[in-house]
Amino acid sequence: MQDADRLREVANDCVHCGFCLPACPTYQLWAEEMDSPRGRIHLVSQILDGAGLTPAAAQHFDRCLGCMACMTACPSGVQYDQLIEAARVWTEEARPTLAAPADGNRRDRALRAAIFALFPYPRRLRAVTRPLRAAQRTGLDRRLTRSSLPGRLPPALGAAIRLGTSGAGRLGPSGAGRLPERVAARGPRRAVVGMLTGCVQSVFFPQVNAATARVLAMEGCDVVIPRGQGCCGALSLHSGREAEAAAFARRTIEAFERAGVDAVVVNSAGCGSAMKEYERLLSDVPDWSGRAAAISVRDLSEFLAELGPAAPRHPLPVTAAYHDACHLGHAQRITRQPRELLRAIPDLTLVELPDAGTCCGSAGVYNLLQPEAASELGARRAQAVLDAHAPLLISANPGCSLQIAAALSDRGEHVTLAHIAEILDASLRGLPPPTAR
Amino acid sequence: MVAMTTAVEALVPRMREICGPDNVVTDPLDLRTYECDGLTSHRSVPALVVLPGTASEVASVVAACAAARVPFVARGSGTGLSGGALPREDGVLIVMSRMRSIVEIDPVSRRAIVEPGATNLSVSKAAAPFGLFYAPDPSSQVVCSVGGNVAENSGGAHCLKHGFTVHHVTGLQIVTPSGELTWLGDGSGVCSGYDLLGAFIGSEGTLGIVTKIVVKLMPLPEVVHLLLVAYDTTSHGGQAVSDIIGAGILPAAIEMMDALSIEAAEEAVHCNYPAGAGAVLLVELDGPAAEVGAEMSTVRSLCEAAGATEIRTADDPADRAGIWAGRKSAFAAVGRISPAYIVQDGVVPRTSLGAVLAQIASLSAESGIRVANVFHAGDGNLHPLVLYDDAVPGQAEAAEKVSGAILDACLEQGGSITGEHGVGVDKSRYMPRMFGADDLDTMQLVRCAFDPASLCNPGKIFPTPRLCGEVPGHRRAPHPAVAAGQAEIF
Amino acid sequence: MDTERAVVPAALMAALAAACPAVREGDPAADAVTGGLVPAFAASPASTGEASALLRTAAEYGLAVMPRGAGTGLGWGAAPSACDLVVDMTAMDQVIEHAAGDLVARVQAGVTMGNLASVLASAGQQLAIDAPADATVGGVVATGTAGPRRFRYGAPRDLLIGITVVRADGVVAHSGGKVVKNVAGYDLGKLFSGSQGTLGLITEVTFRLHPLPAAVAWVTGDFGPSALAGAASAVTSAAGSALVPSAVELLWTGPPAVLRVGVLLEGTPSGVAERARRMAELLTAAGGTPVVAISETPFRWWEQDAESGPPGTVVRVTYWVRQLADVLDALARAGASAGIRPAVGGPAGAGALYARLDPAAEDDTAARFVRALRDRLSGVFAGSADGSGLSRGSMAVLAAPTAVLAAAGADQPVPGLDLMRAVKDQFDPGHRMCPGRFPWGR
Repeated sequence: MQDADRLREVANDCVHCGFCLPACPTYQLWAEEMDSPRGRIHLVSQILDGAGLTPAAAQHFDRCLGCMACMTACPSGVQYDQLIEAARVWTEEARPTLAAPADGNRRDRALRAAIFALFPYPRRLRAVTRPLRAAQRTGLDRRLTRSSLPGRLPPALGAAIRLGTSGAGRLGPSGAGRLPERVAARGPRRAVVGMLTGCVQSVFFPQVNAATARVLAMEGCDVVIPRGQGCCGALSLHSGREAEAAAFARRTIEAFERAGVDAVVVNSAGCGSAMKEYERLLSDVPDWSGRAAAISVRDLSEFLAELGPAAPRHPLPVTAAYHDACHLGHAQRITRQPRELLRAIPDLTLVELPDAGTCCGSAGVYNLLQPEAASELGARRAQAVLDAHAPLLISANPGCSLQIAAALSDRGEHVTLAHIAEILDASLRGLPPPTAR
Repeated sequence: MVAMTTAVEALVPRMREICGPDNVVTDPLDLRTYECDGLTSHRSVPALVVLPGTASEVASVVAACAAARVPFVARGSGTGLSGGALPREDGVLIVMSRMRSIVEIDPVSRRAIVEPGATNLSVSKAAAPFGLFYAPDPSSQVVCSVGGNVAENSGGAHCLKHGFTVHHVTGLQIVTPSGELTWLGDGSGVCSGYDLLGAFIGSEGTLGIVTKIVVKLMPLPEVVHLLLVAYDTTSHGGQAVSDIIGAGILPAAIEMMDALSIEAAEEAVHCNYPAGAGAVLLVELDGPAAEVGAEMSTVRSLCEAAGATEIRTADDPADRAGIWAGRKSAFAAVGRISPAYIVQDGVVPRTSLGAVLAQIASLSAESGIRVANVFHAGDGNLHPLVLYDDAVPGQAEAAEKVSGAILDACLEQGGSITGEHGVGVDKSRYMPRMFGADDLDTMQLVRCAFDPASLCNPGKIFPTPRLCGEVPGHRRAPHPAVAAGQAEIF
Repeated sequence: MDTERAVVPAALMAALAAACPAVREGDPAADAVTGGLVPAFAASPASTGEASALLRTAAEYGLAVMPRGAGTGLGWGAAPSACDLVVDMTAMDQVIEHAAGDLVARVQAGVTMGNLASVLASAGQQLAIDAPADATVGGVVATGTAGPRRFRYGAPRDLLIGITVVRADGVVAHSGGKVVKNVAGYDLGKLFSGSQGTLGLITEVTFRLHPLPAAVAWVTGDFGPSALAGAASAVTSAAGSALVPSAVELLWTGPPAVLRVGVLLEGTPSGVAERARRMAELLTAAGGTPVVAISETPFRWWEQDAESGPPGTVVRVTYWVRQLADVLDALARAGASAGIRPAVGGPAGAGALYARLDPAAEDDTAARFVRALRDRLSGVFAGSADGSGLSRGSMAVLAAPTAVLAAAGADQPVPGLDLMRAVKDQFDPGHRMCPGRFPWGR
């Protein structure tokens, strides 16, 4: 994956035109070349040419959201995702020896260690969030959000609490709502698909997974939900932890190979994007890239659009805005399909958000590692949502939902958030649209 | 890596004081990211980079440089195509991108005050709710800065009818090379005294640094119609252009692309231009509905008469944007069909377009170097994209030669070496082919009036550095450059 | 005149004649300039080469030089403090090249606007500048003269794409060229436009042209004397309209007379008719109860087109169009307090108005008007100040009898004055080109 020649070729595709600058959220924030895609590509080239990674350069890599808006904007087709992934690996490897500000200090190292000991393991994540669940049952979470406590804690911890208590996620009771291993198709069977349950999704939004399974079933799919499927490795892959990501990838591939499915359907944009990269991630491990290529990965909206609608849609009289998750819109270039699916629902009025395609700041765990930048970006996205005057915001990524909900509640505002699966589920089952939670 | 010079090093604490420590860049890898603008063939690492946030910070930065006799270069978005923002290894690069707000919009007066780092497109976006727009529209408008537009007197596709930056700027606040803030013009659009605005715009950052810009806004046209016309050859297209102008019609824009540039644009943005066309013409008409309708039918019949193989029209903004996307992406898109390229910016009288295109074709054939052509057909401004592979020995040099020969061809036809990209460092060696020594001397008088110390973006435009006269009464040893025969005291 | 050098006039005449054969002694009737100065010599170069040699000789002898075209603009600006040599450009009257296919024309500075217009009209083209027919191109550029169509086409500097000048030291320089798109080098043409002969001599100009319109119409609306706001609103609506007017003029022969707004539309016959109808509606809707008419007759606010000689006191006010009503009010009140009715008119939609006082007016009345207007306008412009020093408007006394100028006090310094002085010092270090012409006394 780290072939220097290949990377150099990719970097040389950049003609320095600068069209990526206005698309890049960190350039929008700070207006500095080094925190723009063009500048980061230049840093990568310098390192490939033999320059040593400086703490400043590492910080610029850390500050990249990985939103890939630059790739959408780039007329030359530079594969920036490959460059930033390599850069993140270099940064991770060098981190113990780097001086500040590249998070080489102890507290940030501890934070990273905690994040990666926790998030990829749903069981641990569920355990740790038990206090938060209790807070939701007693209403403490709302008092916590309104208090000044989150603001007085270290930014990362404050952000985590804000996210966890934002009210977007209804932490389901542990054990309840656990999905069966196989859900049968309703009506004539058109496909057999696997479903990724994810980590953050399954802990914070188990109802989304339930809705996803139901929608697929109602559209004529047998849904296989392998029990020990584990983490897909997206967070690790997008944070430069290459070996860890590869290990997760292999385990995930194995789980779905055993399931014998036509395709693996993913309802989290970050996860889907990562799984589509498995072939390249495992390209230097014999056998595995072939096995990765054999797994067909589809985002939920992508899959449903390809399959074509079968079940009748009932009206959902509501005005909604759709938020493009970066890993869906930019990384996977999927923007048309979710809108098609939503527009096909009778009485649903879809409005466009201003500045669509600009990252909300979630970006995996960016909002925990770069809380100030994430907070600013979240605020901007929240304002865009408010400017659209839609009471319902539909998203396709749990991280985005948490981030935007937190930003909205920071401003004392509230908008109902739902996953596109929940909206389709409501329409297919003839239920009313989701109301305020 | 060049070590920071002592003079610049000594400035760092003062710069941190002025701009804030976060806005002073000293890390060697970071500095290097600023080594070039959109012209990647010339690179030079600045000794120091500062990012001021206000006009008075810019003034203080410049004053500090002037006191220390350190040269300085201003930079906007770094998208220029002539190396106008190429830094000095012994100097400070003053990056204006943090100063990017739209300060004020006065829709009744049709004026806006903007900061130089604001992107060109952001001005039109801010004006749109008032039914107004900012007319100069370079293809890089999504990212290029208005300050950069002022420095280069940028045009864009619609300058044929609507004019260039100099026609749309009615006031400039500048920092003079000695570090003082002053306004030029009062914003009304009517000039009192010498037209310093007119001299400053297009001076490529050599006479001072812009800190605020008063722009003229125009009412959005009642209707806009775009025609996309396909031809077998550029000659056919050129004939259509001549016929349209000859009929007394002045379209808002007339652009032409040849087969090679169409191919690149297609790969980049899938603009879906007519397949197999040897050339396409984009003709945009705008104005009152009562006039444009009649113009459209005239233009259509003229295009057909010149041999159009296909004509498409677009009236609504989304369709038009889709067609323009192909043209606007052409430069950057060419990177997909060639590892490297030189973009030229020659101008010829419109009536000589056919002849020059034929010359370019034969230059290309003789040398084996491919040339893709994109141009503002309405005003004879060519952008030949000279494609080469720097991995192949000798190709880079051959491409340079073809490039220079194209400019010579333009000059032979009574044209210019640059229509909108500026001279910068890229074309300064061609200046003596276009102007005589006395012409360049006289232009330098303006330089000496603004920047006697020659610290403001020195080394740009004029091929030989000339020094303005010494302060009377001070006796000094001859300047080293003069002693070495490299410069003249002017 | 350089008095340190005791030169025999005959020798000087010979030296000048060697440079430019058509030289003679100055004639009080033909060559006197404002203030009564009569130059010692008058020369008519027939080419740039002769002009160059002439100015080189003048430099050797330290002569104060004044370029002159047809003399229509000579009365403008401050009276020169010295004038030894008048350079008469009328012998350089050739249209060198009219490239109709490129909409470009290259002309010598002594071509009259009228001659140029007929040459260009034979190909259905025009130079879109409104100026007296017998004014010369060089004079129009040097004075920055522009009439109603300045609104759409700009001033001479906006239409000038190339220039040849002769510096005070005799060196010939070019900038720009024959093509409209050209950013190579500094734009000396812009610098020389409106420089009133103080930077050097213009010998050739290249212009970009426009097609002659097939049809024109003037739409006028007359607003009652108290309907300042209505008239101003009509001007701003017309100026911001997508009907694309070519001129938005205002004429007000002092309160209590009527304010007349005039809008020029150019285009195709049917197009113009339709747009004129809609423009009439727009003027009607502007407020007040205007009387609106459509006509092909040109709307002249200034009946002295062909007049040369001292124009009396003329003040030009520039402003941001939003402040038009306030500017009109200031003019009315200044007139009232001085006891005089100024004739106000100009391209109001383009941010400029001229106030002209009757040449027969008393000097102290005129001076009172100028001072009162200056006071009121400084209040108007200060009201929109933002602290950055942007003046948002100006007032300049363009012409006035010497006594009025003395009594009226100085105009506010123009922005960038120091830089203008530096430019002047570089181009004319000896201060011999039209000394004293600019208000700052050089």
